[in-house]
Amino acid sequence: MKDKGNKNKQKQKQPSEPPKAQQRRQFITNTGCEQVGVLLFFILAWLWASWWMGDVMRIAYERSFFAADATLMHWLAQKSFGWLWIIGRALLTLYHWPVVGGLLVAVLLTLGSWFTGYCLRLPSKFCWLKYFPAAAWMLWTADVGLNLYYMREPGRILGVPFLVVVILGAWAILSKVLSRRHSLSAERENKLSWISIIGQAVIIPLCFAMPMLHLQRTHRYMRPLTHMQVQLLHNDYEGMNRTAHEHPDLCNRHVAGYYAIALARTGKLAEQLFDIRLEFDTIRAYGYDGLPNQCLKYHIVDCNYHAGLYRAARHYVMEALTVDGPSLYALKYLAKIALLDSDLVLARKYFGIIRKAPFEGEFIRKYEPMAAHPELVQADPEFAAVLKAAPYRHSFEQFFLKPGFLGYYSSLKDFKTKEALEWSTVACLYGKRMPDFLQRCSQFQDSALPKSIAEGLALQAVKQPELLQIFPQLELVVNRLDFFLNDASPYTQDKERGAVELFERYKGFYPYYYYFGNINNTHKPSEEELGHNNAGVN
Amino acid sequence: MDKALLYLRCTVLIAAVAMLVCCSSRPSSLPSAFTEVSDSAAIYPDYRDVTIPPNIAPMNFMVIDTVADAFVADLGGVICGASADGKIDIDSTEWRSLLQEQRGKSFNVSVYAHRPQGWVRHPAFAIYVANENIDSYVTYRLIEPGYELYMQLGIYQRNLTNFDVATVYENHRDISPGESHCINCHKFQANNAERMYLHVRENHKGTVVTNGTEAHKILIKHDSIIASGAYGNWNPKLPIVAYSTNKTAQVFHYNFNEKIEVFDGESDLLLYDADRNEVSHIIRTPDHFETFPCWSADGTRLYYCDARLPKFEAQIFEAGLVARYDSLFYDIWSMPFDTVTYSFGPPQLEVDASSMNLSASEPIASPDGRFLLYSLARCGQFHLYHRDADLWLKDLQEGTCYPLAETNSKEGDSYSSWSSNSRWIVFSSRREDNDYTRSYIAYIDANGQGHKAFLLPQRDPEYNLLLLKSFNVPELSRNAIPLGQEQMSHVILFTDAELATYKGHVARSNSGNP
Repeated sequence: MKDKGNKNKQKQKQPSEPPKAQQRRQFITNTGCEQVGVLLFFILAWLWASWWMGDVMRIAYERSFFAADATLMHWLAQKSFGWLWIIGRALLTLYHWPVVGGLLVAVLLTLGSWFTGYCLRLPSKFCWLKYFPAAAWMLWTADVGLNLYYMREPGRILGVPFLVVVILGAWAILSKVLSRRHSLSAERENKLSWISIIGQAVIIPLCFAMPMLHLQRTHRYMRPLTHMQVQLLHNDYEGMNRTAHEHPDLCNRHVAGYYAIALARTGKLAEQLFDIRLEFDTIRAYGYDGLPNQCLKYHIVDCNYHAGLYRAARHYVMEALTVDGPSLYALKYLAKIALLDSDLVLARKYFGIIRKAPFEGEFIRKYEPMAAHPELVQADPEFAAVLKAAPYRHSFEQFFLKPGFLGYYSSLKDFKTKEALEWSTVACLYGKRMPDFLQRCSQFQDSALPKSIAEGLALQAVKQPELLQIFPQLELVVNRLDFFLNDASPYTQDKERGAVELFERYKGFYPYYYYFGNINNTHKPSEEELGHNNAGVN
Repeated sequence: MDKALLYLRCTVLIAAVAMLVCCSSRPSSLPSAFTEVSDSAAIYPDYRDVTIPPNIAPMNFMVIDTVADAFVADLGGVICGASADGKIDIDSTEWRSLLQEQRGKSFNVSVYAHRPQGWVRHPAFAIYVANENIDSYVTYRLIEPGYELYMQLGIYQRNLTNFDVATVYENHRDISPGESHCINCHKFQANNAERMYLHVRENHKGTVVTNGTEAHKILIKHDSIIASGAYGNWNPKLPIVAYSTNKTAQVFHYNFNEKIEVFDGESDLLLYDADRNEVSHIIRTPDHFETFPCWSADGTRLYYCDARLPKFEAQIFEAGLVARYDSLFYDIWSMPFDTVTYSFGPPQLEVDASSMNLSASEPIASPDGRFLLYSLARCGQFHLYHRDADLWLKDLQEGTCYPLAETNSKEGDSYSSWSSNSRWIVFSSRREDNDYTRSYIAYIDANGQGHKAFLLPQRDPEYNLLLLKSFNVPELSRNAIPLGQEQMSHVILFTDAELATYKGHVARSNSGNP
């Protein structure tokens, strides 16, 4: 309203100016520049929040839970700042659709910036300073990596900016009401300041470039990892495989875990497991206690579930529920595992809770009918695959190697399916447990050898040439092995350099992994990381 | 200002209209015209044909009918309406009058549902009102169902005559390293909440022992004691507690219809003197597992469970034990206790479960001295996780043992507590969904017959469906715990535990293992 008033005054002062020139003049003012800057910031913020961070936030939404129900939110409401985290979680639900969630973030950031400028009464030439708080928040989201939502309250992601916007908004309204002279003079607004233009032209792109670069530098795995998780939500295993292959040099335990799920689901575990770098870079993340933590349980539920160890998945997801409170991720798994366990009443309980969360109708429509018609469980491709891979003898989780997933298969000795034999053999290759590997290979004599298994056998044939007679199909692999051994010989004393220099040529070739892969895997999970703290019988 | 006033008026108007709409969708009288239908109304919780105490809180329930948009329930003349959510919220004053009128009798409940074609009435069901009250309070722990970690735990005391819940103690809501502690196993002396104990594990560990509004924290620890006291029971007459001391572990089943097995690798029995802060061994045996001690009503006999360590060959003891977990069969034994000399007599077998390849656990004697209530399952002593666990009663006068057939369910029914008049029990059951333990109440008549159990009523009948925690260790008491939450917190968090003096073995008039 003020702006209009000022413009009207200008019109009265310059009646002779042609209308077009007048319009152009009005536009090329600091106000106009600022408006363009705000618009540009909004568009970039929307792009950043929906495209660049869309998958990250989508997974944050899955690891969060909000329902407009006092019983369900009671545990959170009683925590310090619980009301704020509830608001934050409510806002995060819009990330069910990243474009919509991104729009909300863009609105929050833009409003926050506008209010900042208004409340601080920034001179026009320094108007670009108002974007700094938003930039700081974006930088924070990039800096915390997995701790954005894992082992930390997900409600703070949007709860804090929401609170800031509300406070600034209240401040702005109070300023407006209490101080009628707050608006800047028309003269100041209309003086074109090159500092302002340059400042905005530089600062606005920098606001987004900085967090993007920072995320790429410190948590490069975040976007591929969360992208694979989103693909897993849609059972897009081929897509997960593609995502991993698009970043073959990027690997940590989490990415490797999801990659293995994709391969297991598409029957390519023995063909492609070693296609990506399996070096397991240390990630920068912190546990509940504030100490560095590799977040080893981040992906263990997904891995165990898809390896058929749904009881072990239940164990860990129940622990996540206990420590972090309800999340959609945990509740959905608990519902699905209850269906697999034929605990139909229990499944209905979880569906009843999930139904209270907004936007989860699709999940309910897909799975809830199975609680009334258990025969649908067997017919569902995902469940059928999990049940097919599930252990068929009674045993205890404690009897198998940790972590579950391939650890379980590496200690299997009898197999009910061809897949179980293949997974177990590949698990031995992955663990470089060659005697165990050879034991399992005897069962492949009459069938075609999967790629990695053939390569592992060829490697063993160097020490045991008789293998070439048992498996004549190894001849082709042996030729490549000779080349590899020749190329690898200079690096016997410097495996790290060899790992880097030979990677492009030999990625996916098992002997490369055997000699150069997983060599920095020195991190051994502590008792605490394995979850033995707070242990007790409940 | 004018605009603000206008907005305010609009808001009030909208709210009033919304309230009117809401109220109008909740009928307040019986429909004048309806059709009888033969199918029973689907209600939650299942309160059909249950026997209830005359002092119980309103038994609100919800009708599950996705077609109907309104409901009316006629509870012996008390009319309650419900909107589409089907939640019947009974007026507490009318409910109390109804129960006093029907004490020793029964009343019918008719449910009417408004479907698109008009009102229908489902067949009525009965609710029986016993003559005897139940103890007014039940104290329980809320915890996620099973698994190894804990976070936000609380012990709460619920007033059974209404819906009031008082927090006895909550550990922590936020994760704070060095502060994490587990709380469990609370127990009252003879249903009197003036005297109780409460265990704290990990940080701030110890056992809080209260006497009225006084409380102190003690620690049972000695080289010869396996661990601090676990399952315990107050002598009803003396300031002493019999504890088991257990080395407990849990394992997770693969490919089995149960999820978890909890077993002991070792266990013995202790006697703790609360006045002197002294502890001594009652039984200490390497090849027998003794646990779940419980005093008789007059305090002159101690019941307990005992299992012989099964034979196995394994390099690792625990691994061998896990492999033979289903060979651990507990019997219930008892020993006479001299209340003057504090000595025990020779043990005698009370419940011979092992001879049937079954296992008896969690014995609890009725305050009138007539019955011994226990749980029976295929193996082990932690029957919470055993789907086949049932409640059994031993008639101590007749010497007969029998299941509480009407009270039990297909799923696990276990840990129980008697009301001080011996007519009511509250127990843990997983009957609803085989995962979340809930507290059920059942009437035990003078002949020792158990009646159909009912779920602890809640103001919102949907509460149990939404709660992601189990009700653990329900204990009945006649009165409220006099100690406030702040006092309890102070004792747990800010006082040092006094180490109990170890006094060796309690005298035995005829020593030896059962």
